[in-house]
Amino acid sequence: MRRANPSIFFLLPAVAAIILLTIVPLVYSLYLSLTSYELGRAYLGMKFIGLDNYITAIKDIRFLMSILRTLIFVAITVTVEFGLGLALALLFNREFKGRGLVLTIMMVPFMIAPIAVGFLWWMIYDVNYGPLNHLVVDIFHLSPNPVAWTADPRIALYSIILTDIWQYTPFMMLILLAGLRSIPPEPYEAALIDGASGLAIFRHITLPLLKPAILVAILIRTIDAFKVYDLVYLLTFGGPGTASEVASFYIYLTGFRHFRIGYAAAQSYILLIIISILVTILIRIIRRGAR
Amino acid sequence: MKSSTVVNVVTYIVAAIVVIVFAFPFYWLITTSFKFDIDIYHYPPVYIPFKFTLHNYWTGLFDLWGLQGIRDSFIISAMNTLLVLALSIPAAYALALMPVRGKSFLLSWILSQRMLPPIAVAIPFFLVWKWLGWLDTYQALVFTYTIFNLPFAIWLLAGYIEELPREIYEAALVDGASHLGVLRSVLLPLIKPSIAVTSLFTFIFSWNEFLFAVIFTREKIRPFTVVIPSLIGGHVILWGAICAVTLVGLIPEIVMVLLLQKHIVRGLTLGAIKG
Repeated sequence: MRRANPSIFFLLPAVAAIILLTIVPLVYSLYLSLTSYELGRAYLGMKFIGLDNYITAIKDIRFLMSILRTLIFVAITVTVEFGLGLALALLFNREFKGRGLVLTIMMVPFMIAPIAVGFLWWMIYDVNYGPLNHLVVDIFHLSPNPVAWTADPRIALYSIILTDIWQYTPFMMLILLAGLRSIPPEPYEAALIDGASGLAIFRHITLPLLKPAILVAILIRTIDAFKVYDLVYLLTFGGPGTASEVASFYIYLTGFRHFRIGYAAAQSYILLIIISILVTILIRIIRRGAR
Repeated sequence: MKSSTVVNVVTYIVAAIVVIVFAFPFYWLITTSFKFDIDIYHYPPVYIPFKFTLHNYWTGLFDLWGLQGIRDSFIISAMNTLLVLALSIPAAYALALMPVRGKSFLLSWILSQRMLPPIAVAIPFFLVWKWLGWLDTYQALVFTYTIFNLPFAIWLLAGYIEELPREIYEAALVDGASHLGVLRSVLLPLIKPSIAVTSLFTFIFSWNEFLFAVIFTREKIRPFTVVIPSLIGGHVILWGAICAVTLVGLIPEIVMVLLLQKHIVRGLTLGAIKG
């Protein structure tokens, strides 16, 4: 006797939760983005205004700048984290005393709350008592005066980037290390017998075989880097002025500080579309590269 | 073997630098939490304090919502983990029995879920929770975190179930056991370790979350991630006390990271890379 597939009953609660918690809010948000709804002035009601919010957003220099900053943030953090992560992975892909301890210490930064990481670096960046200024000014004499890491408009965004690099380089490294460990020894043995140089082995054996891990690492980090918010909130609150205002943070201000709900919904849809397009392109490249 | 000695030396030097760079912020956090104010507000910074106090812990935990933050975060994370497990275990079992197409759909759904900027969902959710009168309650955050934890948990668990030989549960089904019976008495005992791993990940994600927490809470509920930034806004900033709160909030997480060590890479790459 064959029983009915239980999939329906077992999947139903999860599927219902997903529809209620993702699809319904997104549709609601799409509707909001077409209205003039403002929380502080709810008496004005939800007037349907078509695409006006989207048009306003495209003309809003502050919004466009926040998108640009997000792109800069993603490009720099992912590139540096990948480069450093790969170098460290290659170096640590060998047995040495204390290896386990080093890897364990490196796991902590990306697993703990980003807000706590922000606070750790907030102390390190402090203008008056921070160890980083002590290092820069008095030990290495790189700058005559203390640097305002989070209060100088030219530097603030890069201080956030540096913190992100500290937090996620180990993540890149661990993924790449796992990739390196899964490469079988045979191709290396064959190459050594043929007398290939170290660089040739890296280019023609390690890199191609490491490709799947590289692509996964870059994809995950790119997607997550777009969402940067916690570090900005804690370290600079988007400031000074708007110098470190990234997209997620500006949308937060629009919706929850200026209470322009309809406009914030439109901005978040634009951000969602940009992320989707860029990630789709990235996945295309990855599919082609993996072949 | 001269070149290998050089490589060894380089490895050790880099390893030492890495340890200093990644451990120093934590060293700074720990020492500052025990320092007297005179050592905290001191230039050059006091790297090795000689006098210690527990005063910061008293202030941070009892006067500055530290204890409440930890309690609220714990309640929210634990309730969310239970909810996610209750929904994901049956779903993962059903998926493991399902044809491949269902799975590729699930993966693309999880990926698109991950791309979703949290701020985009925060806007509609805020209005719904406000309408229900749920702002500043536990359940608002418990349900919100399900969006991100549920797909992840289903995917992780389904991956583990697939690695079991199918015969184990197919044999029981042939013998006439019901699917619910197989799930409860055959599968559950077998996947206990993966349930533990999934719960730890879910718990940590809820514990770490900040964006929804700061938007959906006011003063009745103060998750630990919201307490920290709320303490650095004013004119007088009690560094030592904030360090104490942060440290107490991080300790359970660090313990969990140590427990999870072997599963972290697999978990964070959705099983794409097995660490």
